[in-house]
Amino acid sequence: MRARRFVLPILFVASFLGLWELAAHLGWINASLFAPPSSIARDLVRLHTRKLPERSLLLTHIGASLQRVFLAASLGTVAGVMMGILMGASRLVYRFFDPIITLLMPIPGIAQAPLFIIWLGFGDPTIVTVGAIAAFFPIAFNTAAGVRSADPQIVRAAHIMGVSRAGSLVRVYLPAAGGHIMAGVKLGWARCWRTVIAVEFVAAASWGLGYMIWDASEYIRSGIVYGGILMMMLIYFVLERVLFDGIERLTVRRWGMIRS
Amino acid sequence: MNGQTQAPSTKHAPWKDRLIHAGQFVLPFLVIAAVWELIVRVGWVSATALPPPSAILQRAWELCTGEGLLWHHLGQSMVRLSIGYALAMGAGLVFGTILAMNRVLREMFSPVLSLLISVPTIAWVPVFLITLGLGDRTVIAAVFLGGFFAIAYNTIRGIEMVDVNRIRAAQTMGARGIRLFSAVLLPGSSVSVLTGLRLGIGYSWRALVGGEMLSAMVRWGIGKMIYQARFWNDVTVMFVGLMVIGLTGFLLDRLLIRWLERATIERWGMVTER
Repeated sequence: MRARRFVLPILFVASFLGLWELAAHLGWINASLFAPPSSIARDLVRLHTRKLPERSLLLTHIGASLQRVFLAASLGTVAGVMMGILMGASRLVYRFFDPIITLLMPIPGIAQAPLFIIWLGFGDPTIVTVGAIAAFFPIAFNTAAGVRSADPQIVRAAHIMGVSRAGSLVRVYLPAAGGHIMAGVKLGWARCWRTVIAVEFVAAASWGLGYMIWDASEYIRSGIVYGGILMMMLIYFVLERVLFDGIERLTVRRWGMIRS
Repeated sequence: MNGQTQAPSTKHAPWKDRLIHAGQFVLPFLVIAAVWELIVRVGWVSATALPPPSAILQRAWELCTGEGLLWHHLGQSMVRLSIGYALAMGAGLVFGTILAMNRVLREMFSPVLSLLISVPTIAWVPVFLITLGLGDRTVIAAVFLGGFFAIAYNTIRGIEMVDVNRIRAAQTMGARGIRLFSAVLLPGSSVSVLTGLRLGIGYSWRALVGGEMLSAMVRWGIGKMIYQARFWNDVTVMFVGLMVIGLTGFLLDRLLIRWLERATIERWGMVTER
């Protein structure tokens, strides 16, 4: 039963790739626009090995993007959690910022990019800023929702037992909001990742996975374009399954904030 | 619906409630605009880098009147959005239903689907630029893809939640194909389907803006307006564009989806009215 779950999709993907390869070789599809799997693999390997003694071009691109994502998402997380706590703790702050977040959140990062390019120039400052903004919104939103969802009975109980306002933040509100914050952080980091790649299309100076894909598409190097997307899938998979599930297990699950 | 719980608290007319609600929504923006205006007027930041709200509104007015450039940009965007989203809706519903009804297909596709969902829509744009060209087709494909996955995924989830006995009962009574879909599957899964449609219009809208910016042959469109403003360092137009994007996204979500919800699940009594 368990084996079947893997066999079918693998069979499907394998036959799809096989058909693609065959079609390219028989000339049914234009192989320079639809680079077959074999040439995608070749392009990726070549990108990795070409300047190898000094550096791997492929890994440098990936590293540049990941660095930006980590920096941007960390900034967004800190700012978002702080904002969320303020919004959760004060009704006035919530009423003030809720409409603003509602209206600003749907604006895609790539649309903000031209503005920040003018202010901060091409490259890291713009990409990291827009990425941080992308992470900020869902994290602030979810943290606020989490803090607001704290059971008033427990808040009152803590108050009666002499816990100060600041103390109840650490002991009551944050534990109550843990699951929400984690959900927000996950959303925020995923959004940040997407935004960084997108902004790299228009604002990267010379490195980054997004830049790599974009540059390749301008020269119609379709193998690298598809290869770059493949890399994105891989990285996302690793980040989600390994990093986030790990963090979740070590924190909110272990602390019993969410049930597994 | 549940008038009992509402009756004591609402003494004034509902339109008055709405007005207060709207006021609370608009007030923060007015406060921020006022502070922003003041900061620029006092001269703490340069008006070319950060144009004051008054200049932005004036510019927006200019773009709306006269030749109506803004309407032309927005109109073109809306045409692309409608085509792409309609295709995504049709394909997403059909694909989702087929997958939900057929276990073998579902087992075959769902890992692939979750892998494809992880790739941001905008990352497919370079692929479309290569394969579909630099014009409208690429933008529409991006809009389509943005909406498709959300709609398909939520349709699958929705139909999986429909009571199997209902489906069997309908099948016993001779319902197949479209009839089965429209009479049993769609109503039964509509809460989840609407979630998908709602997420989908948001993703489609964002993909549209990105697609317009990246497609070189596209001349008009709200995304293009922002992108072109870069060549003249015209920050004011960028702000107008961002304002319109935020506002339109909001309105699409509230008006379109609220209307859809009212026409379907609320009328059918599947959710309690808020």
